[in-house]
Amino acid sequence: MLRLGTQGNRTGWLVLAVLFLLILLPLAAVVIQVLLPGVFFGHFELGNLSLLLDVFRRPLWYVSLKNSVILGIGTTVLATMVGTAIAMARANWAFPGAKLLDFAVWILIITPSFLLAQGWVMFASVDGLAAQWLSWHGLHSFIFQPFGLIVVMTLSKFPLAYLTVYSALEWKVDRLSEAARLSGGSAWTVWRTIQAPLLLPAICSGAMLVFMDTVGDFGLPASIATIFRFPTLPYSIYSALYTSPIRFDMAGALSFYLVLLIALAMSVQLYAMRKSRYDFLSSRATRSEPKKPRKGGIYLVIGNIVFLAVVIGIPFGSNLLMSISGSSSAGKGRELTFEHYKALFAGDNNMLLEGLAHSLEIAAVAAVIGLLVGFLVAYVLTYSEFKLRKTIDVISLVSLAVPGIVLGIGYIFIWNQAWLEKIGLLLYGTPWILILASVAGVIPVITRVVVGAMAKVPRQLLSAAQMQGASFSQRVTSILMPLIKGALLYAGLAAFGASVFDLAISSILYPPNFMTLPVVINKAFEDLQFGYAAAATLTGGGLVILIIAVMELLIKPSRKRVKA
Amino acid sequence: MANGHKTKGLVLASVLMATAALSACGNNGNNANTAATNGANAAATTEASTKPTTEAAAASPSADASKDQPLVVYLNDFDDIVKPMFEEKTGYKLEIVSGNGAEIASRIEAEKGNPHWDVVWMDSMPTIDQMGKNGQLLDSWAPGNLDGLTDFAKSLVPANHTYFPTGEHAASVIVYNTKAFDANSAPKTWDDLLDAKFKGAIGMADPAVAAPAYPFVAWFFQAKGMDQGKSYFDALLKNDVHVYPKNPNVAKALTDGEIKAAALQESNAYTLKNAGEPVDIIWPAEGAPASVRVAAIQKESKHLEAAKAFVEFLLEPATQQALIDKGDESYFEPSAKGVNAKADRAADAKLVVAEAGWAGEHEGEIKQWFADKAVK
Repeated sequence: MLRLGTQGNRTGWLVLAVLFLLILLPLAAVVIQVLLPGVFFGHFELGNLSLLLDVFRRPLWYVSLKNSVILGIGTTVLATMVGTAIAMARANWAFPGAKLLDFAVWILIITPSFLLAQGWVMFASVDGLAAQWLSWHGLHSFIFQPFGLIVVMTLSKFPLAYLTVYSALEWKVDRLSEAARLSGGSAWTVWRTIQAPLLLPAICSGAMLVFMDTVGDFGLPASIATIFRFPTLPYSIYSALYTSPIRFDMAGALSFYLVLLIALAMSVQLYAMRKSRYDFLSSRATRSEPKKPRKGGIYLVIGNIVFLAVVIGIPFGSNLLMSISGSSSAGKGRELTFEHYKALFAGDNNMLLEGLAHSLEIAAVAAVIGLLVGFLVAYVLTYSEFKLRKTIDVISLVSLAVPGIVLGIGYIFIWNQAWLEKIGLLLYGTPWILILASVAGVIPVITRVVVGAMAKVPRQLLSAAQMQGASFSQRVTSILMPLIKGALLYAGLAAFGASVFDLAISSILYPPNFMTLPVVINKAFEDLQFGYAAAATLTGGGLVILIIAVMELLIKPSRKRVKA
Repeated sequence: MANGHKTKGLVLASVLMATAALSACGNNGNNANTAATNGANAAATTEASTKPTTEAAAASPSADASKDQPLVVYLNDFDDIVKPMFEEKTGYKLEIVSGNGAEIASRIEAEKGNPHWDVVWMDSMPTIDQMGKNGQLLDSWAPGNLDGLTDFAKSLVPANHTYFPTGEHAASVIVYNTKAFDANSAPKTWDDLLDAKFKGAIGMADPAVAAPAYPFVAWFFQAKGMDQGKSYFDALLKNDVHVYPKNPNVAKALTDGEIKAAALQESNAYTLKNAGEPVDIIWPAEGAPASVRVAAIQKESKHLEAAKAFVEFLLEPATQQALIDKGDESYFEPSAKGVNAKADRAADAKLVVAEAGWAGEHEGEIKQWFADKAVK
């Protein structure tokens, strides 16, 4: 036990240092702009601290804060309910088309939120597809109001809750439920008093992920802004950073409030889970196997298809239609063409392919490094007695809620200091800065998924092995990793997919002549080439999905053999 | 069972490693250190063994300071044609970071402690004017091509010679949907936009968000005075003007029929017209507020010769003609004499411009006014 502790402490400090460097330092570099605006340019003058109070004075800032809180809480509640319900249905019942659901969830996770939102806008705007083709004229006024946005956000963010809960359902201890049923409990009572409470940590993690991702989301308010003004904190931070005169101090002040929101949410979660112990996975646990429902299977199939038609069909269908619509408005919606796809690969224009290659490389390296860091973080959080565990927990989630542009600016502050050149660490201006920033971006998702899985592997399994003389690496590779392999795979692939499309980070950090896919896509959007942008997105997205599917296939078969 | 398991793992690992190696070799010696920091020794070791891949070799300009380093230009348009033209003409190597005006400005500001750029070339004159006043730009150097500029362009060159205009375009012209109006019924002057008959029918880009919308409103504020400017836009908002984040959104709303007329940036307007959309363009007689594209050299630039050559190159009539004939933002009034603007650009196009120093100083205040106005 003692040695497990020391090992944990060493790993703990290492993990803390890495997280500090990757996430906290850049964020702090931005927040400190409020206090010391010129600190990275060699001036030491005190900033104007009253900026922090301006959030209650300036109308735009106040509305942004209010909107972020409403959107964050609303989406968290709704998306956690939706995600949990679907995860339980998926884990309990086998039905045709269930695989499609898994697939859809991945697609939603890796798709940049501005694209999903854009699809919803095309669908629901006054003259959008819903009004034109389905004559749903009321949809517009339903979507473009706060509750409608919460619904759209829910349909984009529920996968985080779904995945966390679903991977927690990978193993189950049937004895507990069976005992309850034998004692006369109804199926509902068993669910309410045994299964749901055991799932609580996963549900809480899922909710936390949804909250973080929602309050940090920039794509939705930005895309919706064309129709309905709904400024949020990330939106106002973006305005401070991306409109002249550039105000880093204002961005710092607003980022401070984002951090505050996260801190509050974390405290609520800690309070809710303060007395619980959840490592129920013992040697009697079995891999859960979905069963065919005795009756009503057809409703599951239909429900699944309708649900997918909404969450995937609407945003992607709209984009797809855009990508094959002629570029003149004369034949809009009717004149179908592949001109945009041809343009992607036309003649000397290899910008897209180059950008795609760069983005895939960056994302692959970031996913591998991120997985390594995320695994260690989760290990320390789950098994060590490291005294700063809570701190690690908080830092590991921060980058989800902090918009990419804030981290990006912070990375420039930190990694562009002249003295770094002497020790060869002037990373700004090289592709490494993109990799580091991407790692920072994916750590929250990886960590949460892995922590959710580790929570069910009791520490005793590791301690027992240690008493037999197994080293740290043996314990990890022969016990821990096989048990949570599914979660590790999911985590790595999600990280890979999400990094490919991370626009915010790459637009501010990409080195000269090193275009990335999201930069190319965004440029097309800004040049009014909506068709080209949609075609580029779908092509890039399709390739990423292919890579993910191949990776999953490479790993999955061995799982079946284990069972046999 | 265990064997199959291991093979799969190996395949997976080698695929990932191969990808890692591909990226890693794009860098110079730096990465060994970084990788170690991150506990990813894997990437560093593979790097040594896979040197020859050259794919991304040109990626890092900053590591070793040698004379052969390329000139780094930050710009917001013309990225695809300027590089080959300049390299062919001068023999200097050029590297480009392109983004929208705000992204580039933000990057420049964040890099202030250790700038990576040599030349900035954007249509954000007020911002660049402020940079000149803050001592970020090379001053007191006059390009040889300065004499070849038009009188209008010469009037824009600041006394301290920190930047030079390469062309001016309308930050807004009046564009109307020909299905809704004809040349008679369409708004013809900026004051027409306040007319009650256009209530709810007009769109414009948000000056607090869209970079080109600022020079547009700045001219009103300077020409009319702060208070009069505010009351003009107050009246415009009361007339239910639709404010969109950026110009492309305005363009889309116009073709979708959401609005019937708009104050729209010049090249967006001509792009719509050339694409066969049912729109027409009106140049108001009192003038269209202009956005001026200027080039400036970074004060600490280590590549002064190349940087000066680039600025001279931009001021040359032949270059500007090529930008007009082949560029993506080709609708502008050239700053050099003897260059022909696009044939279909209105001959009577009159540009007016807010004074750069004034516009730069009041930028924060005016934009904040719009931002706070919008949420009320």
